[in-house]
Amino acid sequence: MSGKMLKSRKNVFWEALIITIAIFMMGLFLGILIETSNSNKIGDLFTQSEISLVDGMAILKLSEESNISCEVLKEQNINFANKIYEEAKLLEEYETSGKLTDGMKLLHKKYDLLRTLLWMSNQESLERCSNYNLIVYLYSYNSEETNTKATQNVWGKMLLDIKENRNDILLLPIAADQNLTSLDILLSEYEIESIPAVVINNKDILYELENKDSVETHLP
Amino acid sequence: MEGLTIVYLAYTFIAFYFLFIYVLTYIQNRKNIYEIIKPKREYSVSIIVPCYNEAESIGRNIQALLASNYKGLKKIIVVDDCSTDNSYEIIKGYAKKFSKVMALKTPKNTGCAAGAKNYGAKFVKTELIGFSDADSFPGVNSISNMVGFFNDTKMGAVTSRVLVSNRDNTLSRIQSIEYKIIAFTRKLLGFLDSIYVTNGPLSIYSKKAFDDVEGFDEKNLTEDIEITWHFVSKGWKVQMAVPSKVYTIVPDNIKAWFKQRIRWNVGGLQTLSKYRKKYLQTGMLGLFIMPFFAFSWILGLVGLFLLLYRFTQYLMVKFLITKYSIASQVALVQMNQFNLNPSILFFFGIVLFTLGFTYTLIALSYSKEKEFGRHPLRDIFIYSLFYLLMYPPLLIISFFKFAKGKHEW
Repeated sequence: MSGKMLKSRKNVFWEALIITIAIFMMGLFLGILIETSNSNKIGDLFTQSEISLVDGMAILKLSEESNISCEVLKEQNINFANKIYEEAKLLEEYETSGKLTDGMKLLHKKYDLLRTLLWMSNQESLERCSNYNLIVYLYSYNSEETNTKATQNVWGKMLLDIKENRNDILLLPIAADQNLTSLDILLSEYEIESIPAVVINNKDILYELENKDSVETHLP
Repeated sequence: MEGLTIVYLAYTFIAFYFLFIYVLTYIQNRKNIYEIIKPKREYSVSIIVPCYNEAESIGRNIQALLASNYKGLKKIIVVDDCSTDNSYEIIKGYAKKFSKVMALKTPKNTGCAAGAKNYGAKFVKTELIGFSDADSFPGVNSISNMVGFFNDTKMGAVTSRVLVSNRDNTLSRIQSIEYKIIAFTRKLLGFLDSIYVTNGPLSIYSKKAFDDVEGFDEKNLTEDIEITWHFVSKGWKVQMAVPSKVYTIVPDNIKAWFKQRIRWNVGGLQTLSKYRKKYLQTGMLGLFIMPFFAFSWILGLVGLFLLLYRFTQYLMVKFLITKYSIASQVALVQMNQFNLNPSILFFFGIVLFTLGFTYTLIALSYSKEKEFGRHPLRDIFIYSLFYLLMYPPLLIISFFKFAKGKHEW
C-alpha cells in the first residue's frame, strides 16, 4: 500500500472526529437557538401577563373604594386565568421539547409565582363576590413517580373538562414543589397534606381522584 | 441538562463518529472497492473443507471448488469430523473421481470446526492454505481474485464476500441484506487495516502466517474471528477481495438463527477477553478493532436499556392513565396532549437514522447480483427498523452465557 494511502487511512479518524464535532456543535447550537427563541417568546407573554395581574390587583383595590361590580371582577379574573392557562400550555409544550437549556424551568417558576399571586388576590374577591368558582390545582413538577404522573394527567384532563363545560370556573394549576416561599406558606395555611391536591373555592380540598360528577358536587 | 439527555447525546456522538468513519472511508476509497490484484506468480493453494453432517451440501461445495478457474489450486482437502450421516461416503466418492480431492476423517469427533480445520492443515504442503465451509459455494473466479493480495509478503489473510444462497422466507431474505452490509462494511474496514474476521465460507491464509499463529484456537467458538485478531496482533495484514463471491446457506428459522448468533457473540467475547491486554496498545487491533468491537457492544446495550427504560415507563404511565381515566370517567386522549414541538434529540435521531439508511442503500447498491435481482424496499425497512433491534437482546444473553462459561457449539 502506498504512503499516500497509509496517510489518508490514519487521517480518516481525525477527519471523522472533526466532522462529528462540527455537526454536533451545529446541532447543539441550533437546539439552543430554538430553545432560547421559545424562552424569549414565553418571556414576552409573561411580561404582558405580569401587567395584566397588576392591572387586576389595581381593579380589586379600586373595587374596595368604588362601585365596581362583581361581574366585572369575575370577568377580569377568569379572562386573565384563561390567558395564563393558554400560555402555560405553550410553555409546557416548549418545556417538553427543551432539552439543552434550563430557561423554561425558570419561566415555569415565574408563572407559578404569578398564579400564586392570582390565587391570593382571588381569596379576597371570592369572599366579596361569590359569583364564580375558583379551582386551584396543586401538582408536583419534579416527581418522576409513575403513579403521580398518571394521577396528575387524569386530574389535569378532568379539571380542564369541567372548566370548558362551565363559564364560571377560574382554574389555576400551580406546581407546588417549586420552592416558592409564599406558596409554601399558603400551602401550610390550607394544611395541604400531599400533592396532587385540588382546592375548590378555598374551602374543599380533594386528594384522591374522584369521578367528574363527584368533583362537580363541590361547585355551587 | 438531565442525566438521560447527556447519555443520549454521548450515545449519538459515538454513533455519528463511527458512521462518519465509514462514510469518509467510502468516499476516499470508493474506486478501489472492487479492486483485483494480479498475482505476480501462481501461488499454490490448498483448500480445506471441514465437514460434520453436511451430506446435503458437501457435494455442491466440492463441485464449486473443483470448478474454480485458479490453476494454482492443488488440493481440496475435505475433513470429515466423524459425521453420523453419509457425508464421508460422499467425500470418498469425489476423492475417487478427482485426484485433487483428498478425503480425510478425524480420529474422533473434535466437536468444533476449528478441530477439523487444524487436522486438515497438517496435510497442506502449499504456500497458501484456504478454508471453506461445507455449506458454502465459492464462485468460479473467487480464489483467483484473492491470491493477488499475497504479492505483499506481509499479507497474512484474504477473505471473500459472503452472500446468501437460500432466500425462501423473510428471515433469510433479511439476512441476505445483512450479509451485504457486513461485506461492504468489512471492505471499508479493510482500507483501515481493521478487518476483524476472515469468514468461514472462504478465506485464504499465507501458510507461513497460519503456522506463525499455530492454527485455529479450538477453544474459541468463532475461530475465524480469533485467528484474524491473532494475525493482526502478530503484524500480519488482512484484506478482503470483494469480487470473490461465495454463497452460503443461512438459518431459515428463528431457533437456528438465534443459536448461530449466540455462538458468534460468545465467540466474540471470548476473543475480546483473550486479547484484552492488547486494548489501546499500538497497532490497529488495540487502537481501533478492539475499541470498535467494545463500543459496538456498549452502543447496542446502552441503546437497548434506554429504549426499554423509556418504553416501560411510557407503558406504565399509559396503563395507569387509562385505568384512572376510566374510573374517573375522563376522556382517554385530548387534543391538547399532542406536542408538535419535537426536541433536538429527536432531530439527531432522525438524522442518524437517515444517514444509517442511506449507508444501507449505498452498501446494497455495491452488491448487485444478477442471480437474485433487487431487494424489496419492505425487506430493507424490516432490516433497518426491526431486525437490528434483535441484536442487543442477543448481546445480553451471550454475555450471560459467556460469564457462565457456557462455550459450546
